[in-house]
Amino acid sequence: MKRWRMPATLALAATVLLACSGQRPVEPGAPSGAPATGPAQGGRLIYALSADANGFNPVTDQFAAQSYSMSGTIIEPLVSVDADGGWKPYLAESLTPNQKYDEWTIKVRSGISFSDGISLTGDIVKANLEAQKRSPLTAAVFGPIESFELPDPMTVKVVLNQPWVAFPYYLAAQNGMIVPPSSLTDPKTASLKPVGTGPFLFKEYVPDNRMVVTRNPRYWRQGLPYLDEIEFRILPDSQTRAQTLEAGGVDAIGTSRDEDLTKFGALKDAYTVHRAGGMAVAEYMFLLNTAVAPLDDVRVRRALAYATDRKTVISTLRGGLTQPADGPWSKDSPWYAAGGYPDYDLAKATALIKEVEAEKGPISFELISTPDPNTMQGVELAQDMWRKAGVKVTIKQADQADLINRAITGNYAATVWTQFSAQDPDGEYIWMHQAYAKPVGAISLNMTRLKDAKLSAALDTGRTDPDPAARKSAYATVQERLRELVPYVFVDHLDTGAIIAKTKVRGIGEHVLPDGEKGLPLTGSPVPYHPFGQLWVSER
Amino acid sequence: MIVVHRLVRLLVVLVVVTFLSFALLNLLPGDPVTQILGLSATEEARAQLVRELGLDQPLLVRYLDWLGGLLGGDFGTSYITRMPVGGELAGRLPVTLELLVAAQIVALGLAIPVGVAAARRAGRALDQALTALSFALLSTPVFVLGVLLILVFAVTWQVVPATGWTPITLDLGWNLTSVVLPAITLGCGQFAVYARLLRTDLIATLQEDYITLARARGLSPRRILWRHALRPSAISLITAIGLNLGALIGGTVIIETLFGLPGVGRLIVDSIFSRDYLTVQGGVVLISVGYVVVNFAVDLVYAAVDPRIRRA
Repeated sequence: MKRWRMPATLALAATVLLACSGQRPVEPGAPSGAPATGPAQGGRLIYALSADANGFNPVTDQFAAQSYSMSGTIIEPLVSVDADGGWKPYLAESLTPNQKYDEWTIKVRSGISFSDGISLTGDIVKANLEAQKRSPLTAAVFGPIESFELPDPMTVKVVLNQPWVAFPYYLAAQNGMIVPPSSLTDPKTASLKPVGTGPFLFKEYVPDNRMVVTRNPRYWRQGLPYLDEIEFRILPDSQTRAQTLEAGGVDAIGTSRDEDLTKFGALKDAYTVHRAGGMAVAEYMFLLNTAVAPLDDVRVRRALAYATDRKTVISTLRGGLTQPADGPWSKDSPWYAAGGYPDYDLAKATALIKEVEAEKGPISFELISTPDPNTMQGVELAQDMWRKAGVKVTIKQADQADLINRAITGNYAATVWTQFSAQDPDGEYIWMHQAYAKPVGAISLNMTRLKDAKLSAALDTGRTDPDPAARKSAYATVQERLRELVPYVFVDHLDTGAIIAKTKVRGIGEHVLPDGEKGLPLTGSPVPYHPFGQLWVSER
Repeated sequence: MIVVHRLVRLLVVLVVVTFLSFALLNLLPGDPVTQILGLSATEEARAQLVRELGLDQPLLVRYLDWLGGLLGGDFGTSYITRMPVGGELAGRLPVTLELLVAAQIVALGLAIPVGVAAARRAGRALDQALTALSFALLSTPVFVLGVLLILVFAVTWQVVPATGWTPITLDLGWNLTSVVLPAITLGCGQFAVYARLLRTDLIATLQEDYITLARARGLSPRRILWRHALRPSAISLITAIGLNLGALIGGTVIIETLFGLPGVGRLIVDSIFSRDYLTVQGGVVLISVGYVVVNFAVDLVYAAVDPRIRRA
């Protein structure tokens, strides 16, 4: 009986030691002899994401940043954004407006096939856009679209019910991602096994664990992609994600933790840190319900802004890494207009509160926060700052689903919030326009429920006037009105969203668009995303 | 007869637990509609989806509808992924089961020799060290222990991967490496409980008359300890193994998130946050059945371990 024990124990120990030796099973296409001078073909990348996708079908599944990372390797959009923030054709060869900008003609690029062998044509693009228009996900966004026409096999005409200058930007996201007819007829399969024209092919997906894509040998962009395979690994805990990178378990991670930026940023020989910037960055703010007391009084809202010491919040919450925000667009954006925001001034805040209190009595309201420690810390800071101005704030915790539900139905006074990362200011139209402000209790996309004719008129001008100067002036008015009426107490531009990679991973944020322009390096929030077709792995 | 009795009890437990969880989930503010459609959906689109998902029906109607499906083996369809809940759970179950079994192996593999050694030298240095270690492990949250273990074994020594999961069917060796840290993290707390319980019961057993008799007959201390004292002292330990299953499943939620394991615990937590009621319900059924079955098995093991119980 005992005779087998020793050999069995040794065999088990040997198996465990072998398994624990760090020798991962051999993967196909390991990098081989990459020249130091330029992109090398081959190699495998393991890329850690903070969350799984809700599905990979752009017509039926709501896309977050991680969805774009994963499905963007397989499915491509009609339009992309260049490094200057301008839209550029991608699967489209061109997009041309009529003189009034209430018709857009999309010419589809020829010679492109889906990985299932079907050629990309105008009728497939039209079917995709029609499906998007029907989808409950995008009905509000595609509201101005009247109809789609097919003047010739490679051209789609989009007829609008109003001029829409920034329409192409909407085709750079989920709404413009093109799938083959099989995915439109079988959306369930498309949710799990995406098919597209992209540089990679779907290989494997294990929910909440990993997605693996392999090189598309028939990709329409010659010489691309460089990598043979990418494994996206879902690691929700930010600390273990960073530790896995350090341990060598993954080659790159997405993060929004300032300590990761500081720590890995200091190790320049081993890691590269790529931070999102410009319009791609969302703003951290407090959303105020202007339809309920006491925040229906603009003096109270202005007092809150005056009482908010943004620099203290930034140094406490973000290690001083971000910049204060005074509107939805940062100072490096071409749309930014300076001036007029109620900067920190406790005396002014106190005076305003006293004035209101003299008329209406003590000011108090509830501030909603998600329960995570970092968010709670920010909310407690605000509570303390606002208390100093004479406002009594009670903090209420709600999980993400509850918080969003409260915001859209108006069942809140103030809540912590992050928003505004569209490439073009028109992307914020539905969140600020008075046409989307509904009474408390009804679903309102304009969650502050601010109804301001000047603000809405400026948003309309920005949407419909093709003159860049007129648009810039209109969005300056938008910022002016937001600073005057304070439906949001802005805190900072959340540009701590970053991709951190080992130095051997090259090409992050350096992609070139089909017509030769440099692409926008990173986009999305809180953790940014980028294309993978031009990433490569060097020897070291 | 006992099996029939247990089955009836299981059914009652299932109905009560699933109804309570169904009702509690529905009391939570928020719904899956925003999760599915996003912020920019219109009121009409939201209303249509509410109808499609049957969320406009009264709670009891929805529960009975779900229960009817469950009796036919249908766990329902996930609101978020639109996949059958049964399939989703079946895909995750092997991960959680392996983690639970591995954690128990770690806990028992350490607790039995350490508990026996401590009982044999009660009050001496080893026993006191065990007491100190037990309290240290019991008072350390699993997420702290997990991060520490990752730091030491994955980041510093790089002998095991920090995170990730390889199914056993794909590669046994790599599967072992991916389960070893999570299992140690989860098993350490249980080890402390089990070792303390075994030590206490063994000390009591070693005071029994039949042990004195065995000593008088000249049996070696080792033989007395392992052959005659251990089995009757294991009853509390076996009870704890069954009862701790709930705590272990709770622990898997944290462990699976920390180590990026695609298990049932993580699925349930994600589903609670996305208000995917039917997936949560499926998970609750699975855990309830597992809990009752394991404790039923524990009852059977009692008799095998201690013949006095069988005779009683």
